[in-house]
Amino acid sequence: MTVTREATKTFGLTEKQLVEMQYKMLLARAVSVRQRMLQRMGRGPMTFSGEGHEAVQVGTASALRPGTDWVFAYYRDVAVALTVGMTPRDILRGFFARRDDVSSGGRNMPSHFSHRDLRIVSGSAPICTQVPHAVGAALAAKLRRLDEISVAYFGDGATSTGDWHESMNFAGVHKLPVVFVCEHNNYAISVPWRKQAAIENVAIRAAGYGFPGVTINGNDVLEVYGTMTEAVKRARAGEGPTLIEAKTYRLMPHSSDDDDRRYRTREEVEHWGAKDPLVAYARQLREIGVLDEKSEKDLNDRVNAEVDEATDEVEQEPTPDPASALRHVFVEREGA
Amino acid sequence: MVTVKDISGAAGLNRDQLLELYYKMLLARTVGQRERMLNRMGKGPFAVTGEGHEALQVGTAYALKPKHDWVVPYYRDIGVALTIGQTPLDLLLAHLSRESDISSGGRNMPSHFSDPALRIVSGSAPVATHLPHAAGIALASKLRRVDEVSAVYMGEGGTSTGDCHEAMNFAGVHKLPVIFIIENNQYAISVHWRKQAAVENVSVRAEGYGFPGVTVDGNDVIAVYAAMKEAVDRARKGEGATLIEGKTYRLVPHTSDDDDRRYRAREEVEEWTKKDPLVRYRIWLKEHDVAEERKLDELHERAAREVDEATDQAEKAPTPKPESALGHVFVED
Repeated sequence: MTVTREATKTFGLTEKQLVEMQYKMLLARAVSVRQRMLQRMGRGPMTFSGEGHEAVQVGTASALRPGTDWVFAYYRDVAVALTVGMTPRDILRGFFARRDDVSSGGRNMPSHFSHRDLRIVSGSAPICTQVPHAVGAALAAKLRRLDEISVAYFGDGATSTGDWHESMNFAGVHKLPVVFVCEHNNYAISVPWRKQAAIENVAIRAAGYGFPGVTINGNDVLEVYGTMTEAVKRARAGEGPTLIEAKTYRLMPHSSDDDDRRYRTREEVEHWGAKDPLVAYARQLREIGVLDEKSEKDLNDRVNAEVDEATDEVEQEPTPDPASALRHVFVEREGA
Repeated sequence: MVTVKDISGAAGLNRDQLLELYYKMLLARTVGQRERMLNRMGKGPFAVTGEGHEALQVGTAYALKPKHDWVVPYYRDIGVALTIGQTPLDLLLAHLSRESDISSGGRNMPSHFSDPALRIVSGSAPVATHLPHAAGIALASKLRRVDEVSAVYMGEGGTSTGDCHEAMNFAGVHKLPVIFIIENNQYAISVHWRKQAAVENVSVRAEGYGFPGVTVDGNDVIAVYAAMKEAVDRARKGEGATLIEGKTYRLVPHTSDDDDRRYRAREEVEEWTKKDPLVRYRIWLKEHDVAEERKLDELHERAAREVDEATDQAEKAPTPKPESALGHVFVED
């Protein structure tokens, strides 16, 4: 079956933008893979792979206005960070705990993204604590009458927390400009969804908070993008929140400290490996004539070169000065 | 006179039981009024009472098995405590902070019901902290393979808390024998329901946890009893949790420290006073020939007498000895 350009919904994206999304997904994949390898070589402490989640992350983040909208990511969101504007150097500085790391000056755990100019808000390790923050930022935007929205990213495990419920309810009552994105990969580390909640799709809970919830194929980057643009439009128009439940899969263990053979079969992982969002989108782009063999190879080469360069440079950079250990705890003002 | 088992709409209750429901509601009303008066006289420090909630509290508690099932109430649940087996004396000893108070030896705030023999589980003041406890107790029942169900009560304000969500989700996943009873009186102190949540009936959220949720007229004691009986049966059979939302109204301010004139109109209070569950049930009892005027008046008098006697006794009871201040913190063998 040939997929035609006309038949494929591309939501007003130009060819350049379509390719850019693939580029970001490839970049995120490469950065995740690189970190995994460096960690196993003993050159970095810990890593949280986002492999498999790229379509959800890039598709949603591509619908935002970097530096205007507020992003509340969680530790798996490397592709969100890269799409909103962080670079492989930025990510790797966090991974290698370098002095000039923009996220935390080499202090925080890797993948705790933070970037003031890009409005990627510093998050914590405990699950879901970022979601009330996202709602508060949305309340601020409403009170200040600004055209800024908030996006909260989280996994399926987070939907069982008290913080999640309180955030959803508050956002619903006050009709806040926030989009809730659940990257539903069926596992909270090792806890499968059927032990997490007694329902199939978490999106049905949105009705209990007075706003819409949708369940989508999180491995289809265009479907994700289209759904997100709708949600963003609603939020900006003052129509309130949306819950997007994007079904996807984590191709790697939870973190470099997890052995997923203990709770899921290789067959299941392979089954989802065959639905890799990067492979699917590349095929789609070739089918509609946006990419061909050469341009695809160029894209991959570009990504690999970028990640190689970033790794080589950042690994040489200085670590934080021990004398600076107490900095970045309080706001530092001139003359204070 | 028509025999009660021929009466439709009595949810399988016989004459004595129907009158017992009425008596418990009367007792709850009278104790509540007495506590408020003692507070205004400067004799009791604080009063939080449940006038208006009697049908919902008594009707649900009546479907439980005292000393067998676990009851986890909140601070407004005078009717629940009395139905499960606490007495006006028990409540007034707590209200006046007396030494022999079963709930806490005169230490805790009044209306923080607690009674090991009756399996009324001691709660805290912060809203909804007792919900995870109820889910935990239900988990224990399941693991122990006993048919002791857990019944937990809260106001509708409690449904916005993280604790509520976590308890309900856990109960749903593990199909626990717990019943969540929401006394929706439309106000969390002064916060109206429309500012609390963006849904009409909170019971719709039960679907998101994988168990049934029902909304009932909380001022209809028999409808409440019937709904609760069904939920208790489900729980005992291992079919899991239920959420019961009873719509009712608080005829008095939140507590003796609240002035409700600041957030609701007198007209609204008067409207709901006309729907007083006690008056409504009294009329139902007469219309269905369960009892005559004289008998019902007798019950009123009996309740008044019982509360008067309890008040006198409680007022004469000694206050806790200062030397005992560190007692009741740890288990004492």
